[in-house]
Amino acid sequence: MKLQRIRAVMSKEWREIVRDRLFLSLAFVVPISMMLVFAYGINMDVENLPFAVLDYDQTKLSRDYLHLFIDSRYFDYQGDVHSERELDPLLADSVIRFAIIVPPKFQENLLAGRPVAVQSLIDGVFPFRASTSKGYVIAINSAFNSKLLAGYISEHFSMPQEQAEAMVQPIKVQLRYLYNQELKSIWSMAPLMMMFVLMITPPFLTALGVVREKENGSIYNIYASTITRSEFLIGKLTPYVVISILNMLILWLMATSLFHAPFKGDPLFFFLSSALYVTCTTSIGLLVSLLVQTQIAAMMVTVVVTIVPSVLYSGLMVPIASMDAASQFEAHLFPAMYYTNIVLGSFLKGVGLEQQWSDMLALAVYVAVLWLGSFLLFHKRAKS
Amino acid sequence: MNKDSGNPQNMFCLWWSRLAAMTLKELLQLGRDTLLIGAVIYLFTLDIFMAGGITMDLKNATVVSHDSDHSQASRELIYRFRPPYFKLAGEIPTSREATSLLDQGKALVVVDIPPKFQHDLIQGKPTAVQVQVDTSNTILGTLAASYSAQIIGQYGLDVALARMGLTESAFENVPMLIDQHRVWYNPNQKDAWFMTISELLTVITILAMLLPASAAVREKERGTIEQLMVTPLSPIQIMLPKVLAMTLVILLGTALSIGLIIEGIYQVPIKGSLLFFFAVTGLYTFAMSGLGLFVSTISRNLAQAAMLVIMIMMPIILLSGAWTPPEAMPMGLRQAMYLSPLYYYIEMGYAILLKGAGLDILWDSLLGLTLLGSVFFGFGVWRFRRQFE
Repeated sequence: MKLQRIRAVMSKEWREIVRDRLFLSLAFVVPISMMLVFAYGINMDVENLPFAVLDYDQTKLSRDYLHLFIDSRYFDYQGDVHSERELDPLLADSVIRFAIIVPPKFQENLLAGRPVAVQSLIDGVFPFRASTSKGYVIAINSAFNSKLLAGYISEHFSMPQEQAEAMVQPIKVQLRYLYNQELKSIWSMAPLMMMFVLMITPPFLTALGVVREKENGSIYNIYASTITRSEFLIGKLTPYVVISILNMLILWLMATSLFHAPFKGDPLFFFLSSALYVTCTTSIGLLVSLLVQTQIAAMMVTVVVTIVPSVLYSGLMVPIASMDAASQFEAHLFPAMYYTNIVLGSFLKGVGLEQQWSDMLALAVYVAVLWLGSFLLFHKRAKS
Repeated sequence: MNKDSGNPQNMFCLWWSRLAAMTLKELLQLGRDTLLIGAVIYLFTLDIFMAGGITMDLKNATVVSHDSDHSQASRELIYRFRPPYFKLAGEIPTSREATSLLDQGKALVVVDIPPKFQHDLIQGKPTAVQVQVDTSNTILGTLAASYSAQIIGQYGLDVALARMGLTESAFENVPMLIDQHRVWYNPNQKDAWFMTISELLTVITILAMLLPASAAVREKERGTIEQLMVTPLSPIQIMLPKVLAMTLVILLGTALSIGLIIEGIYQVPIKGSLLFFFAVTGLYTFAMSGLGLFVSTISRNLAQAAMLVIMIMMPIILLSGAWTPPEAMPMGLRQAMYLSPLYYYIEMGYAILLKGAGLDILWDSLLGLTLLGSVFFGFGVWRFRRQFE
């Protein structure tokens, strides 16, 4: 292996990138704008849920009860309806996401000490939203319930209201939110977005590299030259790795100074693992490039191997531990999962090499395997 | 240009036969790229199948308990952390171990039960249970926290009622609200119903932009566009076949995916008219291909086009509500949602497929998509034609 030849390929590749001004600027603009849009925009909080009420009772107690919903910041009151039939089109057109139906004799039954069934209709199209809304309704109902019960108990066992309230809720829950005490979603979103953006953009930079030369025919210059396979591949890959590492640093700066995410971990460990990770993702692009014959195919295959796993199998939306065995297995096949552990660990948990050496090792193994795969796939002799 | 002028009817036939020939050419070119076809089929089948296995709700979150009481009451409480939300992963002897498990991400929730827990409950003294939640991923952390609080609160209420001699049969004499939930359109809240359709709509979005854009840029990059320009074809006749061919491929893929995966494997009940859905899909692909053509006019090679497509596509997906509930968007972005064609498409897609809605309800979304689509497509065509001048 000769350094001189590697440098020659590298400088050729570098010049090609630099001369394509649009591509060069996009190589930086795309990651930055993705980070901006996503870190600001992804908000899984279920808030401002539009809803309607159907109050068959129309008494003071029923209005008091419904005001618990109307005044909540999680809900967005859209008005009253007068029959259940009016609710159908509202739900179908997504004007409302759920509805509360208060039955007749609501106040009368409760004051007489009888239970009352309150119905909620929920739009179940988005199950995550449906179960969260259901959770809110349950929470409001149980708050209302413990008031009712306490009132009932204080009346029946003749004790003061406060004592009765304490009796209904004998266990206090002390919740401690670790690593992100204020539950700022941007703090976890910004590091996760680093993982996401660095999974998607580097492969797209490299994916077209070799296949373009194949399509243009300029690859024959390489075939005819004295350069060896690994020299060519290293030279080809290095400029993109450099760009991606620069991007990684930019994204890190954005996460820490623009989004003010805390960085508690060991910088050296973090940057080394990040460098490994971007080498990984750029190599994925290179491997795809070697595998396919046309640039369009290269792009499509890159979409397949990057976007989907980085959303579904990275721990971004679904924790790996919650998956079924098959999905867990697949998650272990992609590098995104290991890096998710590392970014969250370094940013929020403040853990380093000691706890996460295995994740780093996995990334290193990944690089080695990709490298071997690329080496074996690349032939200097055109197939006859 | 009109050397071949005959009578108007002949001209008309000629125009269409040229269009058909070019469409056939695009389809042949696409069909000969096996890897590309493989990737497209993969996206419409296996990818959607895999997405169906994913849930966004909390599922089997690992719970570790630190029980300083070891009583019947504490065990009863701990065993209430059950699937589907939680999965008990055993007990730890010291609370210090909790920290290391949380650090390594091996547990999401640690429940800490104080000594004399049962004793206090029987005596009617207030007691407190500590719950530590890993909120490094805020979405999952908040869910885990609220479910844990719900479980413990309910347990407390049950214990209190039992103490007062109010067992379940006596509930008839207690003023209480009974929750009755009816979840419409997806009664069992199966995530697969949502995820498969969401993924299908995302795949359609990606392909509707990427395929026409790359088909157009490729001709530029290889220089075959020069050949096309010296033929009697008008710019429309060069461009429209690309859009038509890709729309055809996308509609076929959609049919495959609905028939095989969504209806076939996940047995999602299709409530509305499939014809209406395909019509809307066709309209949507036209709108998105307008953007794709626009991309192809400003890029000189595929690498540029690919990066531009990502850059335009990401906000469109994000602003649509495909991955996040649209109600939660910050105010400014909620207005921007109306500029994302995917927003209308998603609203209509779910409404047609799951809610069984028809034109009477969806006319406004359809109007929005049509307007936005005409603007995008018109813009793409205008830019594309200008290249030839």
